[in-house]
Amino acid sequence: MRKISRLAIKDYLNEWQISSCYILALAAVLGPMMVLFALKFGIVTSMFDQLLDNPVNRELRPIYSGHFDKSWLEQLQKRPDVGFLVPKTRNLAASMLLKSKNAPSIINVELIPTAENDPLLSGIKKYPEGFDSIILSKSAAKKLAVGTGDTIQASVQRHYLGIKEQKQLSLKVLAVANSQAFTREGAFASVKLLEAFESYKDGQAVAELNWTGSQPTNAKKFHPSFRLFSQTINDVEGLQKWLETQGVEVITQVEEIKSVQQMDNTLSTIYWAIAMIGIIGFSTSLGANLWANVERKRKELSIIRVIGFSTFDITIFPIIQSLLTVFFGWLLSVVIYLGISFWINSLMSNQLEAGIQVCVLLPQHYFISLFVAAVLAVLVATVAGVRAAYIDPAEGMREI
Amino acid sequence: MQEFKSQKHNNRLPTSIVYDIRGVQKNREAEGVAFQLTIPTLQISKGEKIALIGQSGCGKSTLLDMLAFISQPTNNNSFFFQQKNIADLWKDRRYSLLSKIRRESIGYVMQTGGLLPYLTVKENINLSRDILDLPEDDTIADLVEKLDLSYHLNKRPTDLSTGERQRVAIARALAHRPDIVIADEPTASLDPYASKTVMAMFINLVEEMGITVIIASHAWNDIKHLGLRRLSHHSLRSPDELKTETIVTG
Repeated sequence: MRKISRLAIKDYLNEWQISSCYILALAAVLGPMMVLFALKFGIVTSMFDQLLDNPVNRELRPIYSGHFDKSWLEQLQKRPDVGFLVPKTRNLAASMLLKSKNAPSIINVELIPTAENDPLLSGIKKYPEGFDSIILSKSAAKKLAVGTGDTIQASVQRHYLGIKEQKQLSLKVLAVANSQAFTREGAFASVKLLEAFESYKDGQAVAELNWTGSQPTNAKKFHPSFRLFSQTINDVEGLQKWLETQGVEVITQVEEIKSVQQMDNTLSTIYWAIAMIGIIGFSTSLGANLWANVERKRKELSIIRVIGFSTFDITIFPIIQSLLTVFFGWLLSVVIYLGISFWINSLMSNQLEAGIQVCVLLPQHYFISLFVAAVLAVLVATVAGVRAAYIDPAEGMREI
Repeated sequence: MQEFKSQKHNNRLPTSIVYDIRGVQKNREAEGVAFQLTIPTLQISKGEKIALIGQSGCGKSTLLDMLAFISQPTNNNSFFFQQKNIADLWKDRRYSLLSKIRRESIGYVMQTGGLLPYLTVKENINLSRDILDLPEDDTIADLVEKLDLSYHLNKRPTDLSTGERQRVAIARALAHRPDIVIADEPTASLDPYASKTVMAMFINLVEEMGITVIIASHAWNDIKHLGLRRLSHHSLRSPDELKTETIVTG
C-alpha cells in the first residue's frame, strides 16, 4: 500500500501538466457548486433567517382600542409565549415637542412606551426608566442633530381650565435606535413618562414632576392598547388565537411568515436539484478522467504488475491519484469560491445592511465538501481501479 | 513430434528442476485466427540458459508470460515451479500468491524496456528490491558498474538511448537476485552492434550471479555463440491459414 502510494504520487507529480488539467476540470465543477451553495446558504438561510428574526414579524398589534387593566396585562405578561409587553397610553397623549441646541427647528415626535429587552431596540443595553431619558428614532435624532449622551428639551402642552399651558423637561438621549426600529420621528420612553404626559394632558397633577392640576382619581386605570411581541416567530399564531378568545383582535405577520417559510423550502428544493445535477456532473467528469487515465496507463500498470505488484495495488493506484485530484481540486475550488464570494459580497454591499453577506460558507461546509468529494471520488475511482485490474499485463506491457 | 523427444533432459536431479511442465496448452484468438500453444513436456533446470527462437507471432511471448505467471494457461495439466503447483494456484485464483512468487523469484526484461517514466534510473533499478523490502547492499552498485550506467542514475528513462534503457531494464530484472530471469527479445530494438554488446553483458551477469535465464529471440545467429540451450519449437498452420499451432518441448 505504501509502495504503490509512492508510485502513484510520483507518477501524478511527474505528469503535473495532465494532473493540473484534471484538477482544473474538477474545480470547474466544484467551485461553482460551492458558490451556488454559499449563495443559497447566504441568501436563503442568512437573509430569510434575518427576516424571520426581524422583531416586527413577532409583533401582535391590537386593531381596536380596548380597556386593558393591570391584572389582565399581568396575566398576558406571564404567558411563556410572550416575549415583550408594555402598555400603551392614548395616542393623543403620546406625543411631545423636542428641541435641541444643535438644530433650529422644533419637532413633534410620537412617544413609544418601552422597557427592558424591547425587541425593536435590540443591541441597546440602556433603557429609559424614569422621566429624564429617552431613546430617539433615527430620523428624530437626525432632525435634531443630536446623538447618544446629548441632552434635549421636551415640551408638552395642555388646555387646562381654558388656559393654554406648557411644561418643559430636560431629557437625556440614551441611544439612537436603528432606522428599522421606527421609521418616523419618535422617541422611546418609559411607561411612567407616557402616563405622566397622559395625566398632565387630562388636567391632572403629576407629583413626581411637580406639575400641578386636579388630583388624580382612584378609579381603576385602563390602557387602551399595548405593544406585544411573542417569544419566537412560531408563537405568533398561538398567541393570536388566545387573544381572539379574549376578544382582542390583532394584526400579525402570520401569513407572511408562512410564505417566507414556504419560499425557504422552495429555494432549498431548487438548490438540491441543482446540487444533484452538480454531483452527477462531478462524478461523471472525474470518473471519465480516471477511466481515460487508466486506459492511457495500460502499459505502465502492466509493467508494475509484471514486476510483482498485486491486483489490489493496481486497483488502488487510480484511487490514490483520484484523492490527490480531489484534494488539489478542492483547494482550487476554495480559492475560486473565496474570490467570487468576495466579489459578490462587495458588489452587493451597497444594497445591503452592513454585516449581511449574500455569499457565505461556514467552516464545516468546507470540510463537508471535501469529504463528499473524496467519497464520490473513491467510489468512481474504484470503478476505474477494477478496470485497471482487468488489464491483461501480457498485452498491456507490449503496447508501444 | 517424435523427433523432438531426443532433446529432453532427464539427467538432472529433480530438486534442481525449476520448471516442470506437462501437457499445458494456451488458446488465443486474434482477428479471426485461432492460435494454440502446446507444451507436451518442458523441464528447465537451475542455472540453465535457455533460448527460445522463432519468428514473431509464433507464441514465444505467450510461453514467456506463462512461465512468469502473467498468462493463465487454458489447459493446465501439470505445471510445477520450484515444487510449487502453479496449475492449482491458477485454478484456485490465488493471484496475490502468484504475484508474490513472481516478485520474489522472477526478473522480467521486456522488449521495450518497460521502465516507469516517472522514476529515475536508480529508482527504476531499485524497484524490484524495494517491493521486497530488501536491504541495501552492493548488488545495485555492482550491476550499475557492469552495465555501465553510473552516469545515468539520476536521469529519467526518457533521457536515455534505447540501448541504455535496455541495460536499465536488465539491471532491474537482476537487482533482487531472482532465481529466474525471463527476457523477451531484450535486444530486438537495438542496432546489431549494441545488441551484441548488451546481450554479452546480460549473459555474463546471469552466469556470474548463477541465475537461470530464458531468452526469446527471433535471431539464433545473434546468440548461438553464447552457449544457450535451444528449445525445440514447431509451428503448424492449417491450409486455410485460420489456425496456427505451435508445439514447444525441451
